[in-house]
Amino acid sequence: MIEICAITAEPPPPLPESDNLHAVCSAGLVALCTPADEQPLTPSVLWSREEMLEKLMEQCDLLPVRYGSRVEDDAAVARVLAERQGQLAEALERVRGAVEVAVRVLETDTAPSTTEPPASGTDYLRSKTRHAKVATDVHEALGRLARASTQQAGRAGSELLRAAYLVDRGAVGSFVERVAELQKAKPQLRLLCTGPWPPYSFTSG
Amino acid sequence: MRDKFLHKPPDLDLFASDLPRVEDALPGRVNADPERLERGLAQLVLTVVELLRQLMERQALRRIDGGTLSEDQVERLGQTFMELDKRMEQLRTEFGLTEEDINLHLGPLGRLL
Repeated sequence: MIEICAITAEPPPPLPESDNLHAVCSAGLVALCTPADEQPLTPSVLWSREEMLEKLMEQCDLLPVRYGSRVEDDAAVARVLAERQGQLAEALERVRGAVEVAVRVLETDTAPSTTEPPASGTDYLRSKTRHAKVATDVHEALGRLARASTQQAGRAGSELLRAAYLVDRGAVGSFVERVAELQKAKPQLRLLCTGPWPPYSFTSG
Repeated sequence: MRDKFLHKPPDLDLFASDLPRVEDALPGRVNADPERLERGLAQLVLTVVELLRQLMERQALRRIDGGTLSEDQVERLGQTFMELDKRMEQLRTEFGLTEEDINLHLGPLGRLL
């Protein structure tokens, strides 16, 4: 069995030997694969996969493949590439020259709405509306600097926003500056911005 | 591993509430202990109820934004959702579940909220 780690366009990028990667080419696409192993899944296993993808990402645009995507052999990989050529080529075009940047926004406990229970039903709904508005404001402001964006379902508690942005490689600096400006303008919020990540949230349209 | 923080607040710990959940997710095995199964079933049911609650709440907020509800109606709706929220919290406590436990990633469905 072999495991598919990432898909990129031809020609194959130079592969680091330490990661035991090999390239399978078909239909103008390249799948980067490793032999499948049975080691238990731990955070460090996932981090080493992440490191490998990030090294590759410096050399080419790629689509990260879900951990644990295994097929029988190279011929099976080539079949997958040929069968899904259109979809994969389109996704690669979408992420070309861009990286994923993640943003989470929390409201701190100092805000009155989280320390005191709402006095009435109207207050309760009003605080919900305010939270939704803050999330939309931040998401739209950052979305303007991104090629695409996606927002995850609202989490309970003080988390107002959890979103991912597909940002041009050269625009990551100005994106982060905008995050810092928003943080300055909204001291009651806490903005966390991480990346650059492989485009995990943008592999399908 | 490179530092992945592009911008971080000084009180970064606020964001760490997710970490135990990540660790819990990794073993990925079903535990067939009957007590845990009951908790698992409660988790599943409460997750669905919470999803519906959030959807209805979202719908109510849209109607309020639309300005078609009277003050009385808004107050009554608010009271109902506040009560539902409290009741969900009681049920979660009863089954030893956290807010995160009943907040599954629902894939594309998650984006409805």
